[in-house]
Amino acid sequence: MKWIGAILILGSAVWFGFEQAKQLADRTKQLKMMIAALQSLEAEIMYGHTPLHEAARKIGHQFGFPVSQLFLTFAETILSTEISVDEAWKNSLHLIRNKAAFKRPEYEIIEQFGGSLGKHDLLTQQKHILLTLAHLQREEEEARENQKKYEKMYKSLSILVGLLLVLLLF
Amino acid sequence: MEEIFDYLPKTIADEMKRLPDNYWMKVEEIRMRIGRPLEIAVKGRPLFLSHVVTKEDGETFMSKISHHSFYTLEEELKRGYITIEGGHRVGLAGKVILENGQVKGLRHLSSFNIRIAREIIGISRPLIPFLFEKGWKHTMIIGAPQTGKTTLLRDIARVVSTGCDQLNIPPLKVGIVDERSEIAGCMFGIPQLSFGPRVDVLDACPKAEGMMMMIRSMSPDVLVVDEIGREEDRMAVLEAVNAGVKLVMTTHGDSLEEIQKRPLLADIVNRQLIERYVELTREKGPGTISVIRGEKGQRLSRQMRVEKG
Repeated sequence: MKWIGAILILGSAVWFGFEQAKQLADRTKQLKMMIAALQSLEAEIMYGHTPLHEAARKIGHQFGFPVSQLFLTFAETILSTEISVDEAWKNSLHLIRNKAAFKRPEYEIIEQFGGSLGKHDLLTQQKHILLTLAHLQREEEEARENQKKYEKMYKSLSILVGLLLVLLLF
Repeated sequence: MEEIFDYLPKTIADEMKRLPDNYWMKVEEIRMRIGRPLEIAVKGRPLFLSHVVTKEDGETFMSKISHHSFYTLEEELKRGYITIEGGHRVGLAGKVILENGQVKGLRHLSSFNIRIAREIIGISRPLIPFLFEKGWKHTMIIGAPQTGKTTLLRDIARVVSTGCDQLNIPPLKVGIVDERSEIAGCMFGIPQLSFGPRVDVLDACPKAEGMMMMIRSMSPDVLVVDEIGREEDRMAVLEAVNAGVKLVMTTHGDSLEEIQKRPLLADIVNRQLIERYVELTREKGPGTISVIRGEKGQRLSRQMRVEKG
């Protein structure tokens, strides 16, 4: 009986730690993906002159979660409903809000970006994309540093804390 | 007509839907000016609706026209108009942005003018016996604005490319040089109005260059162009009439006598290269043909109406 309890405690501590570490890794990964997606969007707009819904659909198919979901819902919304681009972007972002590993500032940056979409001529549109990219790159750097610093620590710490609890309770 | 409603902001579309149905057949223009009441032109007369166009209306309209992608309209803004589905044209006015003294685009759009493209199939039918004698004749259509020049030109192009069994006219290849995207109403290069099977369109191409491009590359039997009037057009017309293709064109003016006073056109007319002149007036509504003349200006027909209704 004691042994089962001990294993459960150790298990949950380890699971908690690894989950935290995964969050850190996911954030970096997803930010990288978002940056790549915006770069594709810039290329589509600048060189292809692709209409927004078309560009968003293409990008949605190229990338994985959460970028895919954001862009695909967005493409669908602007094609099928009457609401403004800004609104459509916000709604699409809201849908991935609790599922993606982004933090508040990142959501803010992405949300603000939606306000500039489709309203400007080529050069201004490009400037808005580049600005958002710069913000996101800064966030990504921070995320990467955090990951480097804390990922291993979370993992080893969780095992040690688990063991400590088990020892104390024995 | 319905496709236009899809582009209009909901407030304006609702307002317009209240108009009686038979009105719709006659609307020529829908004009939106920000801060001023909505105007529609019916048979040349303005009609003001109570709805005052707001800035939001303008933004929604642009957003719908551009499919939410303003940046795709760069070229169109430079020209000042956009062709939408159905071949209708939206003219724009606002603040002009210059670059090196050249128009680069428009911002802060404040006036929109939707010109409804009319397609009246069969209006050129009574003219055809005059324009075709063992082969198509070089033809010039003369008319003031809004006399139905382009509508007539479009229908002639359609007849040339489909042929006409009753008059024993075979279908021929037609090349349209559509500088202002008005004849064929192209969207992404595809004509939005109905033409026959043998039509090739050079969309938004300068006439002078386009005519030679067509002759070299698409081997048309009949070349259709709109609004001859500039120096380079004269050269191109003189080149083309002697290049083995038949030319059908339009120009602004009231009559043959009048256009003979314009130096550029006088040169073309005096060479007696154009074999048929069709003069249009608005006397009994758009599409009234006042006279058809031969190459020396002699009358071939009397006044007739080509448009029903």
